[in-house]
Amino acid sequence: MAMNLLIAIGASVLAGLAGIGRLTRFGATALIRLLQPPWYPAQYLQQMLVIGWLSLPVVGLTAIFTGSALAQQIFIGGSRFNAASTVPAVTVIGVVRELGPVLGGLMVAGRVASAMAAELGTMRVTEQIDALVTLRTDPFRWLVAPRLLAAVLVMPALVLVSNALGVMGGWLLATQRLGFNSAQYLATTARYLEADDVISSLVKAAVFGFFIALMGCYHGYHSGGGAAGVGRATTNAVVSSFILILLANLVITVIVFGS
Amino acid sequence: MSVPRIELVGLAKRFGSRQVLDGVDLAVMPGESMVIIGGSGTGKSVTLKLILGLLCPDAGAIHVDGQNVIGLKGAALDAHRARFGMLFQGGALFDSLSVWRNVSFALAGTAASRRAAAIDNLARVGLAADVADLRPAELSGGMQKRVALARAIAPRPPIIFFDEPTAGLDPITAAVINDLIRELATDLKITALTITHDMHSVRTVADKVAMLHAGKIIWQGPLTSLDGCDNPYVHQFITGSAQGPISMPGRR
Repeated sequence: MAMNLLIAIGASVLAGLAGIGRLTRFGATALIRLLQPPWYPAQYLQQMLVIGWLSLPVVGLTAIFTGSALAQQIFIGGSRFNAASTVPAVTVIGVVRELGPVLGGLMVAGRVASAMAAELGTMRVTEQIDALVTLRTDPFRWLVAPRLLAAVLVMPALVLVSNALGVMGGWLLATQRLGFNSAQYLATTARYLEADDVISSLVKAAVFGFFIALMGCYHGYHSGGGAAGVGRATTNAVVSSFILILLANLVITVIVFGS
Repeated sequence: MSVPRIELVGLAKRFGSRQVLDGVDLAVMPGESMVIIGGSGTGKSVTLKLILGLLCPDAGAIHVDGQNVIGLKGAALDAHRARFGMLFQGGALFDSLSVWRNVSFALAGTAASRRAAAIDNLARVGLAADVADLRPAELSGGMQKRVALARAIAPRPPIIFFDEPTAGLDPITAAVINDLIRELATDLKITALTITHDMHSVRTVADKVAMLHAGKIIWQGPLTSLDGCDNPYVHQFITGSAQGPISMPGRR
């Protein structure tokens, strides 16, 4: 009984390590191919449009609603300690350091990682990826590299917009509902926002973008088993990118702000 | 005697515990249209993928124009693949691209010249220019097969593989596709390797036929000798009989 348990644990650990190895090799291959010609500019531009522009509404709405809710909660909590005036400072720090990049990353992961996994998975099971190879086109250069680079480049821009809209959501609620003076609110916001906050936010966004595209492409590329296999790949892409985003966020936060 | 365009020697491939190919020997001469027949899951598609370098064999040799092609990498592998066109079973057209971009995918040149070449190739397979700007999803199954055929012939490769070219098509469309393959093979003087279990396809496109069973080529010969062949496996297959030496998995 105990031996069987040990065998099962050992097999799971080995399978996990093998998976990490496969993922690392996949990511390394994609990065190497990214640096080598031929490049396909149309593919890169299309992916930037799909990942960036088309994610803007969902990321923007999330940021506005969350920024507003955050301002309301800080006001309620702060009022208990006679610290309601901290709303602009705490809102901008909370949004720029954490909520903007993390919620933006999670929303993009839900929208984009799933779409990438479904698209590449369908291409795998319908032999389109094999067709690419027979037509002498490297699937890593045609499919994976454009998605990776586009996600890394576009996510910081999305998060910048997300941060701005999140702060705006807080400002809107604070000035329209909580009685804050508009000019004073904005001045306090600007005073408490530091360059490190913005830089860490952008670094997080780029890292999240990399993980989103990597997970979407990896699971889609290795999909198999027909429609059910594509479904599994899609779920795995979303779940794994969520976990990696939250883990990476913790690591970057500890590194940048821990000391 | 001329060198075979494709020669397989003792080709073997295993997936897990399943020995799919177990010493396949086959030679396809230049300009010949060879059809490999065999039941589902006998390794016909695997054979094509091994020749194209999409899979790696466990044992054996693959010679194309006398050259060993196993283990090719980089530019040599690209040059090897440039000799082949492939019609996939489901067409494998790229959903995100228009018909003309699919057809001209492997062609070089400006967009205008590639579009013109795509329209020429569409005409060769009996499709009008007005389908050029459609997406594959807007076409019927038969039209998708024709577009895939146009894509396969567009770079004028000397060898074309046809993987179940009539699978999923109605009998009339299947007959049209078979006639097209025969016509293109003759006109373009290509070497064709077709895998199918559709006997109408076999009789239309084949010069020679080989039967793959239990991982080996158990019979091969010219089409004219197929019906008179005394191999019980071949006989059962071409007559489509449930009775005979070939037993389906799970059947008593």
